[in-house]
Amino acid sequence: MGYLNNSTITVDAILTKKGRELLARGRDEFKITQFALADDEVDYDLYNPDHPLGNAYYGAAIENMPIVEALADETQMLKYKLVTLPKGTARIPVVSVGQTTIELQSNESVTITPQTVNFQGGNRRFGYTAILSDSDVAEIVAVRGVRDQAASVPQFIGDSEAAQSITVSGVQFEITAKELLTADRSITILFIGNETGGRASVTLTVKKVEIATTGLTAG
Amino acid sequence: MAINNRGPVAFNRSTNPVAATGQVEALARQLADQIIREREQARARQRLGRIFTSFDPTDDILPNNVEIVTRGLFAGNTGSLTSMFLNSNLTATQQTYFQDIYSTGDPADDTNANPELSVAYGHYGGSGSVDTTGNLNNDTPTRAIYKQYAQLLLSPLDKKFTFNGTDSDSIYVLNFNRARYREKLDPGNFELTFAQLSGSMPDSAIYNAAHTGSNVRVSGLGNYYSVIDDSSLTSGGSISEGGLVYNLVSGSIDTGTNIHSAGAPTYFGLLYPQHGIAVLNADQLNKTYANGGLNFDSVSGSLVQGANATKLFKSLSGSQALTPTSITGGIQSRSSEQVKSTYYFVRVKNAEYNYSNNPSFVTGTLGQLFFNTMINDPQVYITTVGLYNTRKELLATAKLSQPLLKNYTREALIKIKLDF
Repeated sequence: MGYLNNSTITVDAILTKKGRELLARGRDEFKITQFALADDEVDYDLYNPDHPLGNAYYGAAIENMPIVEALADETQMLKYKLVTLPKGTARIPVVSVGQTTIELQSNESVTITPQTVNFQGGNRRFGYTAILSDSDVAEIVAVRGVRDQAASVPQFIGDSEAAQSITVSGVQFEITAKELLTADRSITILFIGNETGGRASVTLTVKKVEIATTGLTAG
Repeated sequence: MAINNRGPVAFNRSTNPVAATGQVEALARQLADQIIREREQARARQRLGRIFTSFDPTDDILPNNVEIVTRGLFAGNTGSLTSMFLNSNLTATQQTYFQDIYSTGDPADDTNANPELSVAYGHYGGSGSVDTTGNLNNDTPTRAIYKQYAQLLLSPLDKKFTFNGTDSDSIYVLNFNRARYREKLDPGNFELTFAQLSGSMPDSAIYNAAHTGSNVRVSGLGNYYSVIDDSSLTSGGSISEGGLVYNLVSGSIDTGTNIHSAGAPTYFGLLYPQHGIAVLNADQLNKTYANGGLNFDSVSGSLVQGANATKLFKSLSGSQALTPTSITGGIQSRSSEQVKSTYYFVRVKNAEYNYSNNPSFVTGTLGQLFFNTMINDPQVYITTVGLYNTRKELLATAKLSQPLLKNYTREALIKIKLDF
């Protein structure tokens, strides 16, 4: 007689910095209402459908892998979320902004409307979270907001960067370059799908203001 | 919610009222089933393309579970302290009030030494210490110590500690570091082992006033007593001004709880678990070993700096060398803490979460699955669970001990425990 497989897994959770902050604030803001799943440290290249011992071993390299402990920094957790999609899906929903680089002159603006390809209506309700990494270089605003509350956590960036970054949620965004006097600057703008996960990044380069100098002479 | 494509429901006009009622009931049941089916389908559709799933507050969240967590009291979660060191960083004035006991080393020599507890001697009238201001106002350290602990632990009108019905003017105190005992000491898992000291020996040339902390030594006769709390007795423990209090009586927990002469044990002191404090009756410790004491011979002069606290240290730290290997010696104790937890039940159905946004799950820039075999039979691995609020802010995370395979043939139930 063998032992029954105990299918319930019990794991201990730790509070993130954001969780501690809301708990300490004590305004009944610490209220967990939903969950997401992720496979951050899994490299599916380890999955081997040609394993000589058969299908029970396809994922052996992944299943035997030890997992690193949870971090309290919410910006470094759950980067790659699992997603529910119809059976037979051949392509994962991909967030697309149509371009990977943008170049702007000072004070020039551009409007970006992220799209989700491979999934009809994807991210239509909760939209996208856009994170502009350096507010000294440009500003970003949501031209069209979303119908419901959406992600406000600046993911994938640390505290020092967060202080400089701008995070907005919406379905369409306007980016305006600031006036740079000393040098051209390049920054990253990250777009994350609030429903399907997935992300796309754009490199924004803002050109410095060219000041014409005409023959000034001393004296 | 709109209900579409409902099939026509036949209704036969009948003159029989019972038959008509049955038809209405059948019709109502059919409609209800259809509504439920359509709602389920709508829910399934809503789940598609989603990375978040809402908890059902009734079924999925179990708040305010209380659990008692006990740990070894000392550094490194160890339950016994047998190797002890005094803190020579204390100033001379501080040492007239208390001594710090460290494990692993004297902090003056070992920067990684761990503080464990403090010991002190108190006397109601100030004996065993000197008023450093010139004895003008009896500002003696031992008097201050006695009154400090009496104020903390006794009722307002009670000025003296009472041991087994008798007041005592003279006490020794063990005060455990708060970070060690967390919420309280764990009654029933507390033992002090004292070595007999060199005081009041028949051949002792050291008279009381000279039997100070620096002159005292372990007797060398190999005698010791162990002392435990009486929480194992039905009569043990009471509620006082200082919270729960237990008698400290002769006994041992080394081979199961065993109070010596349980009907009439020797009373050594009181244990206040919530304060992390043990108060010992110096009168009992001063007795000779033959009379149930440990020859402490506490310095009782009013103009003598007795350094009696050091005696307690020497007796505790010297006990381990005297005990047989089956008995631990020193101090044994555990901390006890009430932890409130909330359980979140993460239920992942077979059709959910079978695809991943992991970049290694796809190939190219158009999201094409890396393995063609996964188009109809995707295999993903859950390693992390994130708990979010409605603003989708990540409030807590949990990691599984190993990756959990998820596909269309598997469902998962993950119980997440969040302690507060």
